[in-house]
Amino acid sequence: MSLKILTVDDSKTIRMIVKKAFRPYDCELLEGADGVEGLVLATQEKPDLIVLDITMPVMNGIEMLTKLKSEPGLKNIPVIMLTAESGQDNVMQIVKMGVKDYMVKPFKGEQLIDRVNNILKLEPKKTEEAAAADDLSGKYFSVDGDIQVLVLQEKATRQVAAQVEVYLQSKIKDMIKSGINKFILNLSKVPEINMSLIKVIMSVIQNCRKAKFSIRVVGTTDLGNELKQFQETSGISIDNTVEEAKTALS
Amino acid sequence: MNEINSLDLKGFAINAVNSVFDMMLSMEVEISDADSQVVINGNRIVGSVGFAGDVMGNIRIHVGDDFARLMTAAMLDMELEEIDGEEVSDVIGELSNMIGGDLKSRLCDSGFPCQLSIPSVTSGSDFKIESRDWMKYECFAFCHQQHSALVEVFIKSGG
Repeated sequence: MSLKILTVDDSKTIRMIVKKAFRPYDCELLEGADGVEGLVLATQEKPDLIVLDITMPVMNGIEMLTKLKSEPGLKNIPVIMLTAESGQDNVMQIVKMGVKDYMVKPFKGEQLIDRVNNILKLEPKKTEEAAAADDLSGKYFSVDGDIQVLVLQEKATRQVAAQVEVYLQSKIKDMIKSGINKFILNLSKVPEINMSLIKVIMSVIQNCRKAKFSIRVVGTTDLGNELKQFQETSGISIDNTVEEAKTALS
Repeated sequence: MNEINSLDLKGFAINAVNSVFDMMLSMEVEISDADSQVVINGNRIVGSVGFAGDVMGNIRIHVGDDFARLMTAAMLDMELEEIDGEEVSDVIGELSNMIGGDLKSRLCDSGFPCQLSIPSVTSGSDFKIESRDWMKYECFAFCHQQHSALVEVFIKSGG
């Protein structure tokens, strides 16, 4: 059964970041823009977890939390508070209010998921869409001997980048389980560089570094030269062929 | 008053900008020595957050339209052509909130407890924001690729 997650934040930006973080998981996301909306949704929907901002108009997060804790039917719902303020007094106040955890902005979606996993068991999404996604993952990922290969053969749109990001997390888990620790990102057929591609490259590299995998990037000389013009990718060395990359990994 | 003047307000704000841009936008920014010499031409957007308590003040981030759209795309993981004005405004407000929140925390930890306001956002091409009677004022610019932005911080005693 899907978990219900309620995100209460006056910033649509933060609500989008929270929704995106939960996208790979079997969750129903509910949104409130202030404490009043949040309380109504909490009462109606009885969410499994609330991600609650502090500074909001109409009713702030502290007031909403106080009211939640005073309602017998709602007081046990775990709450993760989001705050832009990391000062000691602020943190102490939050902790004393009985929240399960808190996060100081700025934060990354993955960090939020790590915290949520300490409270709830998040299951990967298993819908028709996800099943189709599993089929789609074969479009990008393959295993060549003891090397995980990710090939991009088209323009990296936002949708492509989002798909790759979701599959990447599960592929990395699979790699760890099966003892594979080499990765090739093959960009030799990518027609153009855009921000989505840069994000894919950075995400793959950062995830590989985090998992202590060796990684090589394959692409044309032109692509290598273009990547050098972006601050984020200027330090990446490019192999011109998959064979070169394999040799470098061996 | 001396205690306020001894605060490293500029250092607090620079750390906050670096931290927020790195974490939320995966964007490296370079702090410029040009300070207020940086001029943002054309349409610009200003995110502002106030704080009030033992110190009162305000932090403002002035960003050109193109840079604001780039920041929005990075924050929301969207393509530039998909972004609308409401999203730009929301992102600039939220970034101001995070940068202001970090600064406020540093002020509280330095012995100046204060509360943070909700962010406000102003945009246009022909406006000027004036602040007067501040005890301490800092201004610096930062850039990413060819884009520049300006940060202003004002504080005075709230007692």
